[in-house]
Amino acid sequence: MLFLQLRNELWKLFGKPRTYIGFGALLLAQVIIVLVFRYSHASHDMVRQLQTNGYDSGQYITSLTVATVMLFPIAYVLLPLYVSLIGGDLVAKEAEDGTLRMILSRPISRFRLLFVKWLAGVVFSILLVLMLGGIGVGFASCYFPWGGLFVYIPGEMFSVLGTADGIWHYIGAHVFLAVKSVTILSLAFMFSCFNMKPAAATILALSVTFVSFVLMQIPFFKELQPWFFTYYLNIWQNLLLQPVPWWKVGQSLCVLAGFNLTFLIIGFTAFHVRDIKS
Amino acid sequence: MIELKNVVKIFGRRTAVDDVTLTVPPGAIYGLLGHNGAGKSTAIGMMLGQVWPTHGEVRVGGHEVTSHRQQALQRVGAIFETPVFYDYLSGWRNLEILSHYTGPTSPARIREVIEWVGLTGREQSKVRTYSHGMRTRLALAQALLPNPNLLILDEPGDGLDPEGIHELRQTILRLNRELGLTILLSSHLLNEVEQLCTGIAVLNQGRKVFEGPLTNIRTDRHWLRLRVGDFAVATRELRARGLITDDRDGRLVELASQVGADQVVRCLVEQGMAVFEIAPEEPTLETFYLTLMRDSRV
Repeated sequence: MLFLQLRNELWKLFGKPRTYIGFGALLLAQVIIVLVFRYSHASHDMVRQLQTNGYDSGQYITSLTVATVMLFPIAYVLLPLYVSLIGGDLVAKEAEDGTLRMILSRPISRFRLLFVKWLAGVVFSILLVLMLGGIGVGFASCYFPWGGLFVYIPGEMFSVLGTADGIWHYIGAHVFLAVKSVTILSLAFMFSCFNMKPAAATILALSVTFVSFVLMQIPFFKELQPWFFTYYLNIWQNLLLQPVPWWKVGQSLCVLAGFNLTFLIIGFTAFHVRDIKS
Repeated sequence: MIELKNVVKIFGRRTAVDDVTLTVPPGAIYGLLGHNGAGKSTAIGMMLGQVWPTHGEVRVGGHEVTSHRQQALQRVGAIFETPVFYDYLSGWRNLEILSHYTGPTSPARIREVIEWVGLTGREQSKVRTYSHGMRTRLALAQALLPNPNLLILDEPGDGLDPEGIHELRQTILRLNRELGLTILLSSHLLNEVEQLCTGIAVLNQGRKVFEGPLTNIRTDRHWLRLRVGDFAVATRELRARGLITDDRDGRLVELASQVGADQVVRCLVEQGMAVFEIAPEEPTLETFYLTLMRDSRV
């Protein structure tokens, strides 16, 4: 029965054209980034860094590297946006449209209904990340050769990995990016459970994410970074390091699991005590 | 089938339902009447476990809705004023989705219900292409899928044309007669309620002001329609002689007990007044309802 209900939620979710806005936008962003990278001087700084450190830049300015470069702006800005859009819709849109009242005239418990809806949102979040990784590397392969992975963020990250290692790190980064995606979805879902418009739930989730991120960047908050929600969201970047700081990954995973659980408990409680009216 | 005992619902500072007790017996077509904001939809919301009562007990099919919502709603179907669906999906898919919230439903059962409501041939079309009447039929189909023994209809005739209203009335009667369903009907259409219902409850500002069988409204008071030259003078004279106890609307009088219409006519003629018409006024639900509202305001 749970499977049937989940399948139905997925029908509802993927039957709506607005669900595909995120997929479309990410695809467009990837196309633009790859083309800019290919036909501009965007890679010059990376080439210089590689050559300065004694690496052959031809082996590391690859489809894997470009796909990873694309990942950063998308993971920081676009992914939270489109995941929040769906998460904010999951309950609030049904309440706004009036279909929630129809559903709740059925003998399904509110807990189960929310759980199935959240699961459908999780499936969406994972698919979005899968698409991001798959299409990204696939499209980059059209313009760049296959080879190793080079990730460079001034002052933070300098990773040079062979092809096989690079693929595993790239896949690992996406697995943990899916965790970020699910966490933001849970946040938006929590707001969606309250009596508010879907747009309000989306905006609140984005606000929490972006405000937390901006505060975290302020120098005198540096020591307080572990108290910020977004500090743990970027767990996926750790998978691009060599060696991977697994203790930090594990710690972040536990904290994110706690955040997810908290969001769900708050959302479920708010929804449970709520009166559903026309 | 439905029992509300001393139910109260307070939203903030507003009391939407105030100490309402009512019983819908099995097999009845029961009308829930009241002005906008009288508390009808809130009462229905409490019956369906969508609105939590502040105080009191709501039972459906013998089960307490607040604590045993799933058992209480196992065989309940509901339709709301504006039938809303997932417009971007087909009628069939909508039915599948909604019925699975109750339990597994076979395609044969869905086909059977689609045929019953007369949507065969359009079930694979997207709901956005449906007319209002077709949406109402689809709403009825989703309510019938769990094989209910209780149907709750909240303003189901809203937005329907006269043909649609007639069709809905016939369907409700068929459901009650052929399938033995208990039906709770909340409606503004007093004429429809009068033609369909066996019993009614009237809510006014959250309070129940009447509950009983519809036949009660017809035997409650006897009014005569009286057309004379000067109604005011005539009623003054009739009151003075103790022949009537009340008058209203400038045309109706209520006879005192043991008084016949012939005595009224004789009295008026003796006073030299022309009597053009005197006839019993069959009380309608509308007049009963309006009187009830006026009295409860007083």
